[in-house]
Amino acid sequence: MSKELEKAGLPVAIVSAMYPVAEQVRANRIVKGVSIPHPCGDPSLPPELDARLRREIVQTALKALESEVTGPTVFSPSMAASG
Amino acid sequence: MITMIHVVNQFFAGLGGEDKADMAVAVTEGVAGAARGLQAQLGQDAQIACTISFGDNYFHEHKEEAMKGILDAVRSRGAQLVVAGPAFNSGRYGLSCAEICNAIANELGIPCVTAMHEENPAVGSYRDFANARIYCLPTAETAAGMTDALKALAKFAIRLGRGENIGPAQREGYIGRGIRRLEKADRPGVDRAIDMLLKKIKHEPFTTEVPMESWENIPPARPLTHLKDRKIAVVTTSGVVPWGNPDRFKTYRNTHWQKYNFAELKELEPGKWEAVHGGYNVAYMNKNPHYGMPLDALRSLEAEGVIGPGKLYPAYYVIPGNQGSPSVMRRVGQEIAADLKKEGVEGVLLVAT
Repeated sequence: MSKELEKAGLPVAIVSAMYPVAEQVRANRIVKGVSIPHPCGDPSLPPELDARLRREIVQTALKALESEVTGPTVFSPSMAASG
Repeated sequence: MITMIHVVNQFFAGLGGEDKADMAVAVTEGVAGAARGLQAQLGQDAQIACTISFGDNYFHEHKEEAMKGILDAVRSRGAQLVVAGPAFNSGRYGLSCAEICNAIANELGIPCVTAMHEENPAVGSYRDFANARIYCLPTAETAAGMTDALKALAKFAIRLGRGENIGPAQREGYIGRGIRRLEKADRPGVDRAIDMLLKKIKHEPFTTEVPMESWENIPPARPLTHLKDRKIAVVTTSGVVPWGNPDRFKTYRNTHWQKYNFAELKELEPGKWEAVHGGYNVAYMNKNPHYGMPLDALRSLEAEGVIGPGKLYPAYYVIPGNQGSPSVMRRVGQEIAADLKKEGVEGVLLVAT
């Protein structure tokens, strides 16, 4: 999916907990998700911190879109955002 | 003596170029065009009974008729096998070859061999057919590799015609179809696996027995500058859809995508959305759809001006990605890409589960 979008010239930041797979299939801008059933956030956190973490993940993805990359690159959201 | 048939497009039959691409199926007794070269490589071991040709466009525009004509011709000659191509990197021709081989193998039970460049898009169809009676040999990208391709095809065709046992792709050199067969090995799997592991640890070369599909490199798209002026959209394979699943996504092997509008929404309220996906536990996503489509975070970044006003595309794209075959997902990706471009989207956040 990400590759067809990139082929069309659209930069894609893929948020995935399976980032090694994303690397293997040669996606270019990869953002570490939390876990497969909840890539954007962590339900074990109190709702406020969960929301903050999600914001951090999305912001990391936006940063990835702004970054020059030459091949599969993994971006790690600062999990410190979760407190 | 092996009797076979060679199937080629109008160009390689020597009948003309693009101007003849609308040509119907034609049968020439004996050899014509590329079939002469193939017959020369076959020598005395096999004889090409006839050369079947078709226009590149005709085949795809009149598939039923074209296929019927080809099948009738093959049936009437009592051929033991069929060679199609080589198609090199020609997509139309490659696809015709793969589809013709598949139809002949299925309808007539005759083995077929074709040949094309490994990056010909038709290799994807060949792999999807995963037909045990069809083999595809790799060729050079252009017809400059004709002699080598015909040599390889001739050698392979003679073996097929003699009913020889053809081993695995890695050993025999044809393009793998992803078919797994039971085979007797000298040593138990655990020993072979440990050998491989030790070699891997020592950074020595080893050959896997379960090759993964290889993936092409796509050069990264240019990064976005002035992010807040760029139109951003969300695509997700999580399967988050409006409650009740109005477009009837399945939990696996979906073949269509949808776009859901959130222009009026600040967040995705639990109970109004659900996740349809058979590949992970959807309980978390059902409780909080933002895990798959982070609208709350996007709205907060919008409020802060990180995403500019009106720059968040007001709908998200979704297909539950579970067990999506690469070829279907490619097509879906292309369709979504076309829609994103049409809507002026410049960057994509893809949430994958």
